[in-house]
Amino acid sequence: MNLDWVMVALSGLKAFAVVMFAMNVAVLLTWADRRQGAAIQDRVGPNRAVIWLPTPLAQGLAVLPAIAVAAALPAYVKFNAELRESEIGGASLVISQLAIFFVWFTALAIAGKVRNRGIRNSFDAFLAGFGDPRRIVYVGFAAHAVTLALGAFFRNTSTGDALAQVGVYGGAAVFSFAVLFGAGYAAYSIRHEPRVGLRLIGLLHPAADGLKTLFKEDFIPPKADRFLHSVAPLISFFPALVVLGVVPFGDTLCFGVDEQGGLLLSELMAFVPKEGVCTEGALPLGVIDLNVGVLYFFALAGTGIVGAALAGWASDNKYSLLGGLRAASQMVSYEVTMGLTLIGAFMIYGSLRVDAMIRWQAENTWGVFVQPLGFVMFFAAAVAESKRIPFDLPEGESEIVAGYYTEYAGMKFAMFFFAEYIAVVTSSALLAAIFLGGWHLPFINRAGLEIAIGDAVYFTQQLPHALVVVIGLLGFILKTIALCWVQLTIRWTLPRFRYDQLMRLGWRKLLPASLANILLTGMLILLVQGAGAKFLSGLEIAADLTMLAVALLGIYAVVQLVLFLLKPPRKRRLYAPSAAQFAAAMGGTRNARMQA
Amino acid sequence: MSQSNQPLGPRKVTGKAVPRPKRGAGVQTYVPEIAKGLAITMRHFFQNTKEMALGQRNDPTIEAIDDGVNTISYPEQRRPYPARFRGVHRLTHREDSSPRCVACLCCSTACPAQCIHIEAGEYPEGDPRRGYERFPKRFVIDELRCVFCGFCVEACPCDAIRMDTGIHAPPYDSRDQFIYERDLLMGFSGRDGSHGTQNPRHEPGEATHPGIDREKH
Repeated sequence: MNLDWVMVALSGLKAFAVVMFAMNVAVLLTWADRRQGAAIQDRVGPNRAVIWLPTPLAQGLAVLPAIAVAAALPAYVKFNAELRESEIGGASLVISQLAIFFVWFTALAIAGKVRNRGIRNSFDAFLAGFGDPRRIVYVGFAAHAVTLALGAFFRNTSTGDALAQVGVYGGAAVFSFAVLFGAGYAAYSIRHEPRVGLRLIGLLHPAADGLKTLFKEDFIPPKADRFLHSVAPLISFFPALVVLGVVPFGDTLCFGVDEQGGLLLSELMAFVPKEGVCTEGALPLGVIDLNVGVLYFFALAGTGIVGAALAGWASDNKYSLLGGLRAASQMVSYEVTMGLTLIGAFMIYGSLRVDAMIRWQAENTWGVFVQPLGFVMFFAAAVAESKRIPFDLPEGESEIVAGYYTEYAGMKFAMFFFAEYIAVVTSSALLAAIFLGGWHLPFINRAGLEIAIGDAVYFTQQLPHALVVVIGLLGFILKTIALCWVQLTIRWTLPRFRYDQLMRLGWRKLLPASLANILLTGMLILLVQGAGAKFLSGLEIAADLTMLAVALLGIYAVVQLVLFLLKPPRKRRLYAPSAAQFAAAMGGTRNARMQA
Repeated sequence: MSQSNQPLGPRKVTGKAVPRPKRGAGVQTYVPEIAKGLAITMRHFFQNTKEMALGQRNDPTIEAIDDGVNTISYPEQRRPYPARFRGVHRLTHREDSSPRCVACLCCSTACPAQCIHIEAGEYPEGDPRRGYERFPKRFVIDELRCVFCGFCVEACPCDAIRMDTGIHAPPYDSRDQFIYERDLLMGFSGRDGSHGTQNPRHEPGEATHPGIDREKH
């Protein structure tokens, strides 16, 4: 096949994937936003949308994929010839840990269910005999630790080889059993239900909302400018969607190229050198690598202003006009700050291309450590650009109804609404790329894992090329979603600014501070350029130490998460008013029949 | 105290000096305070999401009785209404399933929201009830105007209007659907399913009729 055509097809695929990523994360964000509101107000949150499945179908959905997964791993072990010879140690490690994890996790899920709904059969009774389900977690962790210790202790001995055989074959068998048993148990326990509701923890709710907006009345005020009124949502929606094109989602993927110019997919699993990127058969994981890079982002983000202003003008409504004016002046003001805060970063990275910025960060340290002030200010300006709380003056419902989209309904309103969420996703992706290392994760380079401080190397582990790229991709997505979530939390924490406060923050605080940041950065760059070799090596060690700090912080966060999940629930006793006592006397609220 | 006792010029204000709260760099830059606020929001988010996902959530209203979050999925699940809940009105029936209402206009007079409209009709010549009472040709209640105060029920001398259906007005999508006419109001039954009431009714002309009678007096 011609390589050029493959690359063109892949570009289309990449653009599609990026658009899908932005829209889906935006949908997730609408869900999380409502969940957050519910969490603060002790409500259930979005969970009403449901697809009812006939019980046999639900059982099939549980069991058939489980059968496929359970068959796949033993088949892989059986037919992979390579595995039997050299790589058995690593394979044994992965497979046995996977098997142990699935065993205790399945047991835990069932035990939790049994605890909530009561014992129904002898297996339930057996699980309940262990007592607290947390004990299953502790036993699982102990099993992980023991097998890891055994593997490390008997490494490169004959006993070790025998253990590795046990790990591979026994692990595969146990894994299959755990997956099949869990799915079978789920299918068995719903056998008496007339139907099973597919709710996906409320994720269907935004989908139902989207569908609803399509069927709503498309209202245009009688004296409005019909054309501009209709085109304004498009103008604010489209730029928000396409700015992600310049952000690379992962490291360049290297296919090998054979003599005829075709692709060699086997190269993906090979090890590549630490330095340099392949020139032939390279697939950058961004849609386009523009040399103007971030300027493209600013140009298109600026177009979004036009949409808001047009919507305000075309609606023939005083409040819309006020909202449109507010949106225009706010976004123009913060555009200035946004550009100036990034200049410090450009000076350090020496490029406008996002890919080059990430590579600088991968070689040295993340942007947040060299430009902390720039990070905070850019974050504030990005939140202001997305016109969300605490900067939602353009729509300020307590003052001007709903601002520039007062006269919008149905899908046109949904497009404004969605553009806001997509702006959150794109600004988070850009923040992650410019300040949080993009797809770079601490101590992971193109060759694999290498823990090194300065010149001293403590640990190296080569990893296949595709795995490194996928880990980077997942890291980038995780960073983006985390930043999105921080923006949601800001929305649910801070009250709205007053308009003069907003303008004062933009023009009199952030703008001078960003100019000062440029001056400071320039002086520091001159200082580093004039410094001796000793100072530079010290800087390198400091950069590696920041990466170590990031890695430790990540581990700490994971440990804290596990401890938090294991913590027993708080028991609170609340005053039960007479209406609640009455409801309780009638049999509770959950399954009470309608008394009317 | 008259105004003239005060000396001219600005009035001297006496009072306790309250020290201004100290606003350090942390408060002035706003960033650490934001971080604190975010931490509180995040703690609530994680706590509540975990409790919801694991079914550990204590009921905010009736913690001791029911587990889980106390929001109910309304049309499928309903809270039991108290026995004296005032729901949508109904017009009670007589034995012959005509309305008990005698069109005295007491309810529409008592109604503070003025949501009841009655057009009274006379019984035809020769009917034993003619001259004693009338009947409602139209009996209209605008359930959207109604404030559910129950004054109409209190005012009714014949136990003809009741609010014991246990139904609350469902959400319609246009206003005219909230205008309940006589036949619809007579179609509702009480919570026990009957269209009548416990109070007995004695028609004019019957032996048990307690009032003044054209024939006897």
